Amino acid sequence: MGDVLNLRLRKSYPGFELAVSASFPSGIVAIFGPSGSGKTTLLNCVAGLVSPDEGEISLNGQTLFSTAKKVDLPPERRRIGYMFQDSLLFPHLTVKENIHYGYRLTPPQMRRINPSKLVELLELGPLMDRRPESLSAGERQRVVLARALATSPNLLLLDEPLASLHTGIKGRILRYLKAVDRELAIPMIYVSHSISEVLTLAHKVLILNRGRQVAYDEPRRALSQPAVIPAVDVESLENLFDVEVLEHRPSSGITLARLGETILALPHMGQETGKVISIAIRASDIILASAKPEKISARNILKARIEEIHSLGPRVLVQAHLDQPWLVEITPDALTNLDLREGQDVYLVVKSSSIIILD
Amino acid sequence: MLSSDEFQALRLSLQVASLGTLLGLPIALAIGWVLVKSSIRGKVVLDTLVSFPLVLPPVITGYFLLLMLGRNGPIGSFLHDAFGVDLVFTWVAAALAAGLVSLPLMVRAIEVAIAGVDPRLERAARSLGAGPLRTIATVTIPLAYRGILAAALLGFARGLGEFGATIVVAGNIPGQTQTIPLAMFTDLQAGDDGGAVRLVVLSLSLALISLSIHHVLVRRRGLLRRPWATS
Repeated sequence: MGDVLNLRLRKSYPGFELAVSASFPSGIVAIFGPSGSGKTTLLNCVAGLVSPDEGEISLNGQTLFSTAKKVDLPPERRRIGYMFQDSLLFPHLTVKENIHYGYRLTPPQMRRINPSKLVELLELGPLMDRRPESLSAGERQRVVLARALATSPNLLLLDEPLASLHTGIKGRILRYLKAVDRELAIPMIYVSHSISEVLTLAHKVLILNRGRQVAYDEPRRALSQPAVIPAVDVESLENLFDVEVLEHRPSSGITLARLGETILALPHMGQETGKVISIAIRASDIILASAKPEKISARNILKARIEEIHSLGPRVLVQAHLDQPWLVEITPDALTNLDLREGQDVYLVVKSSSIIILD
Repeated sequence: MLSSDEFQALRLSLQVASLGTLLGLPIALAIGWVLVKSSIRGKVVLDTLVSFPLVLPPVITGYFLLLMLGRNGPIGSFLHDAFGVDLVFTWVAAALAAGLVSLPLMVRAIEVAIAGVDPRLERAARSLGAGPLRTIATVTIPLAYRGILAAALLGFARGLGEFGATIVVAGNIPGQTQTIPLAMFTDLQAGDDGGAVRLVVLSLSLALISLSIHHVLVRRRGLLRRPWATS
């Protein structure tokens, strides 16, 4: 499949210049970088809310912006959905009216997505007559997602949609975004400063630092970029996974769940078997062992292979692979003591109580 | 109670202030929007021009209107030649005077109302397919409507009290252009203190009614800005 979005642009503000040149395939592409790296400016240029000083932007072969051809389509003619960081729902309209706002403005022959399908996909039924002010932060983000999708956009821009949400409901929104990707096949550009979100969601990641494009690669390789390291918030680094509930063992206090080929022991919970749920495991809650530990209380001992080792000053971030990339945080002392190397087989030890269920 | 002349003055005052507000409001909306939202050059000039009626003696505003609307003025001669209409010394001229004098007040209030609308909501509307005018009609105005109503009311109240510009461009003709302030001026000149007092009470009542409605509108808007008070 060809590229959806092609761009080459330059935009400067006093003391800051954004210069990016990239082609975006379908699927979810993340834009990652520390705050002030130009992520939102880039999205605004694509959406038409900000005009680049120089460059070209084209979507599915249609020129949206070009200094050479003197083209600068206004945002309402670009057919690009935008999910803003703060939900920005229209406060004077109900949820239903918000969702229908853009749908009604979409020419009938371009309507590919029906609002009723979105209501079903994002489980908005009970909210339709409510006002935005009465919604929770998570509900608001679902409505704003539906509002943007109801215009049947050719591209969806998401500006840190999880930034205003607490951990518990992040997983749910992430699953909705994955469902949108799977069922509606709308290409997305997802701006984030959380490497955890990038790893779980994106197929590709464009890394920005001070307006410069420093890398454009698969997410699992993102951490090998030196420029990424200062932007990684080690404190809140977590592994986000979707797992399928397999079996409850109430007397043992655990619930078994499947992640790819791996079976995980989660703290016991009430979710139906067969249901897919999101979990988070903090990188600092995982123990790394170079030999298989025995007689240990932790319920999860997973064999993995070290892919990359990154030193971040007083901490070391180990990226291990087992179906998916896992991030483990250890001390430089542990690294020397265990003599860990890239390519080495290790065991990840995780207490079931360290696995956070994200709904 | 009111004499028939005084009743005429009340009717004319309401008529003049209403038409003045009706004509001034769309212009004030357009100017207010440009002053808050657009990045055109010459905003300072526009701002200054609009403020003139607020700081100049109203007599000068009236004289300016007289020059424009008179038989030899650009607007007056056009209206006379094309339609045979002469506005000077009619209640419509009084309404134009009231509208022009209250314009700066309305523009200021509308600027505040429009500036209170989150520009990101307007950008959201654009990204959902709404053009600039539709965005104004479906997002900016609905969200600023209390402030716009308050602006209209303020303009109306100012129009009720208009004297200086009105007497120059519309004269002081009982039953035709004699509004409450002009009738009062006539009573005072004639030494009719009783008539003047009745008109003072009438003016006070009208002012109190408009200001009370204005107060309610502005206060409610204030409440809306405090999310903890509404949830």
